[in-house]
Amino acid sequence: MAESPLIVENLSFRYRDRPGAAIERISFNANPGEILLIAGASGCGKTTLIRAVNGLIPRSYKGQVTGRVLVFGEDTSSWKLSQISQKVGTVLQDPERQILGTKVLNEVAFGLENLGLPRAEIIQRVDEALAFLKISDLRDRDTFNLSGGEKQKVALAGVLAMRPRILLLDEPLASLDPASAQDSLDMVRKLADEGMTVLLVEHRVEDVLRIRPDRVMFMDMGQVRYLGALNGLSKVVNYKEVKLPAEDIVERAKYDKAPAELKILPSAADPSTWKWQSETLVKFEDVAFSYEPDSEILHGINLEIKRGDVIAVLGPNGAGKTTFVKHAIGLLKPKSGRVLVNGRDTKELSVAQIAATLGYVFQSPSHMLFAPTVRAELAFGPSNLKHPKDQIEQEVKTALKIVNLSDKEQDPPLALSFGQQKRVSIAAILAMRSRILVMDEPTAGQDYYNYMNFMDSILQMPGFEAILFITHDVDLAVIYANRVLLIADGRLVADGKPQEVLRDLDRLEACRLVPSSLLALNLKRLPQTGRFMRAEALAHI
Amino acid sequence: MLVAWRYRKRDRSFIQWFDPRAWVMFFLCFGVSTLAFWDIRFLLPFFVIAIFVLATSGLKWHEVRRPFLFIIWFVVFFALLTFLTGRGGAEVYKTEHLIREFKAPFSILGWTPKLDVTVERSFFAVCQLVRVFSVASMTLLIPYSLNPALYGITFKGLRLPDNISYAMDLTMRFIPTFGRDFQLTMDAQRARGYELEKIKGGLFEQVRKLGPLMVPVTIHAIIGSEDIIDAMDLRAFGVGPRTWLVQLTYHRRDYILIAFGVLIILASLVAGFLGYGNFWVPPALIKLAGG
Repeated sequence: MAESPLIVENLSFRYRDRPGAAIERISFNANPGEILLIAGASGCGKTTLIRAVNGLIPRSYKGQVTGRVLVFGEDTSSWKLSQISQKVGTVLQDPERQILGTKVLNEVAFGLENLGLPRAEIIQRVDEALAFLKISDLRDRDTFNLSGGEKQKVALAGVLAMRPRILLLDEPLASLDPASAQDSLDMVRKLADEGMTVLLVEHRVEDVLRIRPDRVMFMDMGQVRYLGALNGLSKVVNYKEVKLPAEDIVERAKYDKAPAELKILPSAADPSTWKWQSETLVKFEDVAFSYEPDSEILHGINLEIKRGDVIAVLGPNGAGKTTFVKHAIGLLKPKSGRVLVNGRDTKELSVAQIAATLGYVFQSPSHMLFAPTVRAELAFGPSNLKHPKDQIEQEVKTALKIVNLSDKEQDPPLALSFGQQKRVSIAAILAMRSRILVMDEPTAGQDYYNYMNFMDSILQMPGFEAILFITHDVDLAVIYANRVLLIADGRLVADGKPQEVLRDLDRLEACRLVPSSLLALNLKRLPQTGRFMRAEALAHI
Repeated sequence: MLVAWRYRKRDRSFIQWFDPRAWVMFFLCFGVSTLAFWDIRFLLPFFVIAIFVLATSGLKWHEVRRPFLFIIWFVVFFALLTFLTGRGGAEVYKTEHLIREFKAPFSILGWTPKLDVTVERSFFAVCQLVRVFSVASMTLLIPYSLNPALYGITFKGLRLPDNISYAMDLTMRFIPTFGRDFQLTMDAQRARGYELEKIKGGLFEQVRKLGPLMVPVTIHAIIGSEDIIDAMDLRAFGVGPRTWLVQLTYHRRDYILIAFGVLIILASLVAGFLGYGNFWVPPALIKLAGG
């Protein structure tokens, strides 16, 4: 048998400034042309393993290593990073932060320039890599203006140009819309078919099934819990920890207790907590918007957000979803038409006034957290809105209780875990007593287990009368929404119950959304169930 | 959008006709030489060069209206300030010839505000205008005319080390990203009722109130830099002398420009050494003032 390109032997690592091992006694080998899927929750050691293989550990991240990494039979511990990088290529999670060149050409050439190759060879290799990924047309573009999918491919081209034989991909799908993600995965399959050894880190197992990973490795607490064929995975791991295909979950969940029904938006059901009597909270009347005179981004949007709505906003990147949402919270004002919040035109209201009604939680909590303590962070909004002091006190306490962070009141928010930061950002909105929660990609940056728990708890939180979230994930709409808005090219192309909107698979595809196994299963069972539900619930019907 | 590149390739632009390295060298020679003089007879050629470069740069007035109005305001303000106070020029002229004296009809605590309009003061203000405007307008042209994608190689071409030159490129690359992060934070905080326009109080208080913007932006930049460093390490940055893919080639005109720059600076040095170029007032003006 040919020599394994990559052998990891009994590898352990402990970061210098952290207690406990990040990975422990990991052993495996990977074959030429193999796609090895590495799955596991946040903090399971996936990223540490990738860093140990690509040499950043121990060169850039110091700590204690034991065990060995062999690349084509040679121990890499004595290699220079530049040597390893010609055998092992790495694509990091966020393409935005790893693209270093202003132009695509310079970006793809970056590694080769550093190796000091002759100019002619660099150009030839760059053109080859671009052609292989079918993005030669991007060659002279500015990297900043590329779409997420294009950025991902350009980053990949930059790595491929160095002609590695082993490719490490660290959650490459995290920042892509589903169609771009599928596109990227097809490229990975093609690379493997040509002999590349691929280690693909991804916790959304279902999403990578179409490229048929040869084996899957499941990591937990720094150790390998399962390594083997894909169909064995669902038998050993908890279906709540990794996103398995819906059929597999149904199969497994049958034997467990049926999940409790979510009591969504308790405040919408309880008239004593309503802020106003009117059922319509926000109204868009023929709203159009453009930054520049000739290029309209939103066209003729008409809709009402009503009490009790849990709305998923779906659509391709650049379709105008964020622009739409920014109109609801008054960050943008329509060029024509009007937006009414609680019956008042947003043109007459300041963003601060609207914030008392609609709270907007951005994708990444680190874009908003700044205060020295969680308490001060939560008091920021209400004090901007000039709430009286003792009322703020009360609001902060209540909000903390709802998000279950009462014991963290004095902690600096930036020192909390990502999931906790996310909850702080929700609490910051709760403390303002905003009645409508608006979230941009609420699940971004969280693993499957954490984001499902997060969504479950938000929907059941008292205090909100309606929720609206932007997402790429069709399953979030299937499981949580009672209304789906489909936005494409700045138009509202569909608005209705999930089972009505998501039934039209052609339309979904046109909006660069990828129907999931859960959607397919729900559509099949719809005559019996009458509505969409999560796989665990379907298992008991 | 918060950050937009001002650079564009412009038709028939004199400044863009040259290699950026040559232009940077010429610019440095120009700047140093201009600042060496106070004599209007010496300053005028520089002023003429600046006006010529500006007029042939291919820039449209609407592109540069705001920065130019700012520069003009700035230059006039400072010229006026030195004119009114008489400070700043005191080192370059000793005697003054009074044209007219203005005296306030009141006094504050025994001090009567007065303004002596002298030939020297007035002419000094004119010289100051010409001098600062020449340098400022030439500086302003750079971001509009030199391609940011070439900054790194330009500095490399000026014999700076690889890592410092590449840092220029990297800065150019991440300025728009930084701008976008800033906009996101701004939106996020506004949605929490934060109103930048309403920040009041003393300087210290104002800075403190910028915390909700500055802290997240800074933290984000620091977190992001870890990835950037990893990405650079993983692609062998800094292992040895690197190839710069972009190649700049000097043409005959570039050599001429550099030679011209060097000539200017040498001439200025010689002139300064021989004692020329100090503040000078046309004798005719002094005569007019009855001197």
